[in-house]
Amino acid sequence: MTILKVEQVSRTFPARHGNAPTRALEPTDLTIGNNDFVTILGPSGCGKSTLLRIVAGLDRPTSGRVTLDGREVTGPGADRGMVFQSYTLFPWLTVRENIAFGLRERGVSEAERNKIADAFIRQVGLSGFENHWPKQLSGGMQQRTAIARALANDPKILLLDEPFGALDNQTRALMQEMLLAIWERDQKTVLFVTHDIEEAIFLGSRVIVMSARPGRIKAEINVDLPHPRSYKIKTTPEFVQLKERLVEEIRTEALKVAEHA
Amino acid sequence: MRPLDPVTSKQRLAYGLAFFVVFVALWSWATFGGHVSKVFLANPLTMVQEGVDLITKQGFLYDIGMTIWRVVGGFVLAAIIAVPLGLLMGAYKPVEAFLEPFVSFARYLPASAFIPLLILWAGIGELQKLLVIFIGSVFQVILMVAVTVGATRRDLVEAAYTLGASDRGIIRRVLLPSSAPEIAEILRLVLGWAWTYVIVAELIGSSSGIGHMITDSQALLNTGQIIFGIIVIGLIGLLSDFMFKAFNAWLFPWRLA
Repeated sequence: MTILKVEQVSRTFPARHGNAPTRALEPTDLTIGNNDFVTILGPSGCGKSTLLRIVAGLDRPTSGRVTLDGREVTGPGADRGMVFQSYTLFPWLTVRENIAFGLRERGVSEAERNKIADAFIRQVGLSGFENHWPKQLSGGMQQRTAIARALANDPKILLLDEPFGALDNQTRALMQEMLLAIWERDQKTVLFVTHDIEEAIFLGSRVIVMSARPGRIKAEINVDLPHPRSYKIKTTPEFVQLKERLVEEIRTEALKVAEHA
Repeated sequence: MRPLDPVTSKQRLAYGLAFFVVFVALWSWATFGGHVSKVFLANPLTMVQEGVDLITKQGFLYDIGMTIWRVVGGFVLAAIIAVPLGLLMGAYKPVEAFLEPFVSFARYLPASAFIPLLILWAGIGELQKLLVIFIGSVFQVILMVAVTVGATRRDLVEAAYTLGASDRGIIRRVLLPSSAPEIAEILRLVLGWAWTYVIVAELIGSSSGIGHMITDSQALLNTGQIIFGIIVIGLIGLLSDFMFKAFNAWLFPWRLA
């Protein structure tokens, strides 16, 4: 059983060059249960990435705390796998070596490492590219490798920070289906940050809507669409209805940001 | 010609050769034409004859060997000290804060100004020559490696941390491999500078080496030998640079892929 608890977590960035301190995240509570797929939806600059980075242990909360299975998060660790928006494969390692990075750090033998890595390579459809360098891969392939790299570590929770944000629409849709298929088969606890409404509904069992800066949770919407979901679900009345509702929620927040800019 | 328009590799070679043709032509015009006195500048033909004489009769190959050994010896010594130190400075900010002011200061000390002092300390033997190269290279390499390591992509470091890497793992498996190509480039660059220091070291208090030959030739007003010596230095530098480049490309295939 995995339970992630975010309790009264806030983040204020200290003042710089005479500017006032920036309140990026209001005190926030969030509980994510076992095998939950939660998407966090919000306009840019709403603190959603900050929240994810705090859960990952890459940033420290100004107040509050994050616990995973009762243990407080004090820094990054292998129990929380992360996929970034930017391409963060190690350019000097091949696809297989990238995926095996965490395993090697834990001292897993080479034979075992390769076995696990190859299984994930098949799962994300990169067979035949085991020995390619990241430079030789398209953006979509790089992000698939990054997902495999995070999963190969068998983390308790998978954190994704707009992982498909830099991809074109067609690739992005395929990647969503691939990620969802992995989740439907293996059941993982996932926290997925995005600013794309369709993506948030299609992937999530629960969509958390965040308000514009300072970020706070504005609404929480359950997505009761059946699994397995295919891309066809995006045109069903239930999906469209959810989308309309979220468009309204997000639009008011986006307008606030635009007025401040 | 248009700005930034590329040239083909054939054209590049032709233009490169053309320069040397023009250069030798001007040199020949000045010397064979009698525009410059023989005492000050030998003509190209004399230079070649003197060069053959140097190699076949005066054991110049031994001098070349001595010079190469001094450059490589001092340079390797500097690299062994400087690369780990630079890595530590780049990785750990307190170490950087501790050493950076001194290294930045020491970097501007001209290696040649140390020669009299080094002769006092280490005599005129090989150690003194190696130390000149060492002093000339070590601070440069430390500082450049520290800057390179410090500029490692933060997102790669963060990714490694989320994959469970320890602090040691970050240094060994992220900072070092990501900076390695740059470090190799730094070494290639500094090796070029080391060549200029060795000649200066050999001009003073030396009984062998290319620099020593050049001072001897000056006393005999043999400009042909001097020019030949300078050309040899240039050729060896070019060759070592070429080899270093090829070696780096072989070592880091992921950069070119």
